Amino acid sequence: MGPVMIRTYDLWKQYEDEGHDGMALRGINLEIKKGQIVTLFGKSGSGKTTLLNLIAGLDVPTKGRVEIDGRDIEALGEAGRTLLRRNKLGFVFQFFNLLPTLTALENIMLSLELAGMNDKRPALEALEHVGLAGKEGRFPHELSGGEQQRVAIARALVKKPPVILADEPTGNLDSATGTQILDLLVKRCRDNEATLIMVSHALNTCEYADRVLRMIDGRIVEERSCEDLAR
Amino acid sequence: MRPGHRSSFIIVAMAALALLCAAAAASPGGLCAEEWRQAASQRQWSFPRDHGSHGEYRTEWWYFTGNLRGNDGKRYGYQLTFFRYGLATKPKQPENPWSVRDIYLAHFAVTDIGKGTFRYRDIVSRKGPGLAAAKEGRMDVRVLNWSAVMSSGRIELRADHEGTELSVHLTPMKPLALHGAGGLSKKGPAPGQASYYYSFTNLKTEGTIKTPDMVAPASVRGTSWFDQEFGSNQLAKDQAGWDWFALHLSDGRDLMVYYLRKKDGTVEKESSGTLVERDGTSRSLRLAEIEMKVLSYWTSKKSSGRYPAAWRIRIPSAAIDITASALVANQELFTTASTGITYWEGAVGGRGTSNGNEVALEGYVELTGYAGALGGVF
Amino acid sequence: MKGVVRSFLRYLVRRKSLSILQLLGIAFGVAAVVGMTLASRSALQGLGNAVDFLRGGATHTLERPAGPMEERVLASLMADPAVKHFAPVIDRKVRLEGWEQVRFLGVDPFLDRDVRSITARIGSSGKDNVREEAFSSFLFDPRAVLVDENLARNMRLSPGSTLQTSQGPFRVVHVFPNPSGEPLVIIDIGHAQELFRMKGYIDRADLVVTDEEAFRGRWATGFRLESGRQHALTLSALLGAFKLNLQALSLFALFVGVFLIYNTAMFAVVSRRRDAGVLLSIGASRGQIAAAFLIEVLILGAAGGVLGGVLGFLLSGFLVKIVGNTISTLYFFLRPEALPWSFWNLAGGVLLGTAASIIGSMPSLIELRRIQPVLVLRGRTASRGASKRARAIAVSGAFCLAAAAGLFSLSFLHVYVGFAGAFAFLLGSSLFAGFIIILCTPAAKYIFSRVMGLSGKIAVGNIRENLGRTSVAVAAFMIALSMSIGLGSMIDSFRSSLLWWMDSQLRGDLYISTKGDVNVPEELYEELKGIRGIGGIDVFRSVPMTFRGRPASITSIDASVLQRYDRFGWFEGGGENWEAVKRGSVVISESFSRRFNVKKGDVVTIEGADGPVGLHVTGIYYDYASEHGVVMMDRSTYLGLFRDRTINSLGIFIDESGADHARIIEEVKQRARSYNLPFATREEFHKRILHIFDSTFAVTRSMRILAVIVAFFGMAGALMTLFVERRKEFGIFRALGFTTGDVARMTVAESLGMGLISFFMSTVVGTVFAVILIKVINLQSFNWTIFYHFSAGPYAVTALTALAASLAAAAYPVWSVLRKYPVMQIREE
Repeated sequence: MGPVMIRTYDLWKQYEDEGHDGMALRGINLEIKKGQIVTLFGKSGSGKTTLLNLIAGLDVPTKGRVEIDGRDIEALGEAGRTLLRRNKLGFVFQFFNLLPTLTALENIMLSLELAGMNDKRPALEALEHVGLAGKEGRFPHELSGGEQQRVAIARALVKKPPVILADEPTGNLDSATGTQILDLLVKRCRDNEATLIMVSHALNTCEYADRVLRMIDGRIVEERSCEDLAR
Repeated sequence: MRPGHRSSFIIVAMAALALLCAAAAASPGGLCAEEWRQAASQRQWSFPRDHGSHGEYRTEWWYFTGNLRGNDGKRYGYQLTFFRYGLATKPKQPENPWSVRDIYLAHFAVTDIGKGTFRYRDIVSRKGPGLAAAKEGRMDVRVLNWSAVMSSGRIELRADHEGTELSVHLTPMKPLALHGAGGLSKKGPAPGQASYYYSFTNLKTEGTIKTPDMVAPASVRGTSWFDQEFGSNQLAKDQAGWDWFALHLSDGRDLMVYYLRKKDGTVEKESSGTLVERDGTSRSLRLAEIEMKVLSYWTSKKSSGRYPAAWRIRIPSAAIDITASALVANQELFTTASTGITYWEGAVGGRGTSNGNEVALEGYVELTGYAGALGGVF
Repeated sequence: MKGVVRSFLRYLVRRKSLSILQLLGIAFGVAAVVGMTLASRSALQGLGNAVDFLRGGATHTLERPAGPMEERVLASLMADPAVKHFAPVIDRKVRLEGWEQVRFLGVDPFLDRDVRSITARIGSSGKDNVREEAFSSFLFDPRAVLVDENLARNMRLSPGSTLQTSQGPFRVVHVFPNPSGEPLVIIDIGHAQELFRMKGYIDRADLVVTDEEAFRGRWATGFRLESGRQHALTLSALLGAFKLNLQALSLFALFVGVFLIYNTAMFAVVSRRRDAGVLLSIGASRGQIAAAFLIEVLILGAAGGVLGGVLGFLLSGFLVKIVGNTISTLYFFLRPEALPWSFWNLAGGVLLGTAASIIGSMPSLIELRRIQPVLVLRGRTASRGASKRARAIAVSGAFCLAAAAGLFSLSFLHVYVGFAGAFAFLLGSSLFAGFIIILCTPAAKYIFSRVMGLSGKIAVGNIRENLGRTSVAVAAFMIALSMSIGLGSMIDSFRSSLLWWMDSQLRGDLYISTKGDVNVPEELYEELKGIRGIGGIDVFRSVPMTFRGRPASITSIDASVLQRYDRFGWFEGGGENWEAVKRGSVVISESFSRRFNVKKGDVVTIEGADGPVGLHVTGIYYDYASEHGVVMMDRSTYLGLFRDRTINSLGIFIDESGADHARIIEEVKQRARSYNLPFATREEFHKRILHIFDSTFAVTRSMRILAVIVAFFGMAGALMTLFVERRKEFGIFRALGFTTGDVARMTVAESLGMGLISFFMSTVVGTVFAVILIKVINLQSFNWTIFYHFSAGPYAVTALTALAASLAAAAYPVWSVLRKYPVMQIREE
């Protein structure tokens, strides 16, 4: 495997208005190499999404730091983090989070435009790669859940970012569609040699992963295999 | 100048008022159903009473022109004229001074011959509470703050407007001259077409004059001419205008000539003149005795009127042969406030021979009916 | 960036009905300001034109300090070297049939043409015989008048027509052009003297003066010389309070408008929150998102501004009439023409719409920039911390109220400070909306669940849960309702104060000639004194004066009559004041005392006919007759001071002991009729004053309606947004077995709930606002005390308004529910 892509140092996060002490993360140290596909398991509220958001620079840790591609993202500042998301990160969400007012193609183009590219071809190609050729003019509400998620994947991958963050990408889909989406997502990441961190609670996700992590009460436990996970 | 012609001048001015009478006569108020006395027969003159107003006649004016010279030799001309025009023989509300019987108009002009400037102003007022009046019994005529008042045989003139001021007193150097037949001056062939008309042709003039260019009034002296005329008659409809000359010759003779021009281009037969000798004796001049030729013209840019500007006048019966010309070309008045007509009245000068002697001359000329409009009003 | 903007803007198209509501909200807010501004500008411009036209080329006017001026003064003016032109003027009012009073100007056509162009055209030489005849008629026919083209058009007059007036018929002989809007009738000065019974007198002389300083020196004593500039200042001071009121009203409308835009922007932010989170996560910067949002708001603002500009222009046509009527009733005749359509209406509307949008959307923008994508993407709304926030906002509201109180205590500095305080108060109160909703929730839940069952209970819960949105809607609606209650209560209080004042001061049994256009001949006064059974006759005369450079008025009365019959409301002192008044002291109105800071015991110096005279102030009385201040003195004092014997009107007091009340009244009426004088019984007189009062507040009333309309759109918009935002919930309700009717009821309940809470708040805020208007604004701008008087009317009207607006605002969402509910699913977009 290649060099380290994502590294966290003693990452803590406390939410002020969350219940109990509000401590979502309790000292996460993590190293993820380039091209690795990692799944992150955990119960609801175990801190999975929080970790993801901290890695994406969408949220600020209470303590500790995150490095992506060797650079401390806190030191990048707001503008730097925006550039980071623009060029190096791709997101896939549980609720797809397409912009409802834009068509499939426009949603993908938006991602390109923000990265400074105005070429339509890669966007059309990306749609084709996720099997939605011909549906570029549809609005999100005119697409099925699986189709929406395909668009979201195309949107995340179209700018070929080195890191893809997926938050329960199949959480809102039936299992058959979920499997298709996972196949697609992992395949596209492998093709692009992208690092994929996938938050999930569906066990079948495990099979796609190079590494399996589990979060328990804000701490990370490395699992050796999917069987261990199932226990 | 002959009666009837100046009166026609007034009538032009007052056409608006006169015409209304025709209409008003039909109205129940009977506004103009009054009778004005006519200048029909010779008059028993009595002075100084007759210098005052004659309210029983419809129109009347006191007409002063003069040629003046400052201590520094600078030359000026002035015209100050007061008109009274009766609109009604009796005011409707005699106790209310605003109730109209007469209206009073006045024209005032000063020519600065050296600078070539000409300034004038016309005003009009009813009697009102002391705003204008012409007294009976003696010469005391006022229109707003302009006045002509005679006392102890001396006439005081005052007028001012926007920095142009005149304050002079006039002393007759010759007895007054009655024009026409003992002061009854016929103005047309029809009976009753006449007015009473007399002049002081030579008034020694002293006082001050000021134009807006001057810091202070300048002392002046010179000679003035005064006409008074009154009557009640209308101008004939075929008249177009008139040329009037009042000239002082340096040998002491004063000459008045007027030509009444008809619309067909001929001259009214009643046109005439008066010659006043150095000793004050005067005689009428018939039209046939006078020869006049226009030598040059001046065209007004403002009114487009083409006015005569130089003349040769010969009166063989009096051994007079003179040329006269305007001292300033533009001495044209637009009397929008009062009479509403446009005419030329200005200082003239010239030379020639009288009784075989070389003479210089100065005086005033009035030219009406050259800037259109005049005939249409009749 | 393009994509970001596009993603936002498409909302406008996608949610058309909501966009339209928001647009209309902004448009009406802008329309209120544009309409009011145009109306007051055209009124003032009309006034300026009328003044300019009337003044002509005059540089100064000369008049006596009180009453007419002797016409012989003209001869002195004529002789004054500084006077270039002078023109006598008699300036009166005459009532035309079916019209207000119009200016009736007596002039001398000969002298006037150097000052004004009006008479210069009649009688000028020319072929137009008609015009010449006109001039002669004008000079000789005592009933001949010239009328201006506007009046001629409106009353279908042409030369030869008859003009019917309170002074009898007049014959129109000429129609003259008049670029100003003021109707004008011109008559010869001599005839004017006969008509107005003022032989030997004129009202003033209009002058063209060349050397003002020298002239002033010569005419210092016994005259009032006013330059054109001073005259304009005086007029503008005369209209000062009125102008201020118009300004304040349009500012209040703008305030509601900005609030609405804030409302609108707030909703927009709520609906964009998730999108903003998505955009942030895919690499859009916060700046880009803010910019995109701003563009959306600006487009709405600009479009609303355009629409508002057009609506405002249309509105101004209506308002200008009301404003004109009010000015005519109170000050001087004015029939201002609505300003013509101008591009600037649009530009101004857009400017206003966008500026208000920017201000109104500022808080939302800040919120948008602070958005936590983590939270919003997980589907949480801001309502989680809302109750905490609502408390924090309420605290800032409390600070606002404290600031308002501070401003009120400083309001003596300038009335604008008072206005600022009023705004601070409204703003501060509005910030309590969220807090009040929280407080009200338990009670409302109880009531609504009792009345409407589960739907009602859920509805109240919804209001509470969506506090971020509902509190703004409630705040905007509450402000509008408070203004309605406040203005209504203020007007009612004023009205009741006025009633009290009339009842204490205008106690005569019959009043002769109170309409201002005709004076009472002294002969009639003498005649009436001879009638047995009349206990007293109050001789009333009022003249304008300039006191310390500002307009005020002097009133002369018969102190012994008033002492016996009237019951003045004394601000300081009591009925014993009359004794001093009879001996030459004066009493002053409250407004005079406040305006000029004159107290009881002070000496006021008044320019009399023989120079300045000091008058001792013995008391101060309540007065609503003139906001400019009145110095009241006995007629004997007045005559000595000004030698002006004019009588404006008579108040007849019948002796109580006399049994023949009706007969005496009838006899007085008979005498008045013989002089062709109008008369009114006490009741009629009081009624007329009330009528004037009511027409004065027509503008206020129309602005009140407008504020409610604007708030209505805010309310409807808020409901719409709630509805749009919670479509998913409707799906859940459906899944749970709620019928269409249940959901419709719930929507209505939400609307009613918000309306109820708004109204509840507005009863308190509106009452305080009324007190502020009465005790601060009115006192500062009119200098008179209004006594707060509770009346249920404004509250009832406002409650009905709130109810109607709530129901109407719910109509569209309900209709949408009925139409779409059956196909709704539990589904994310």
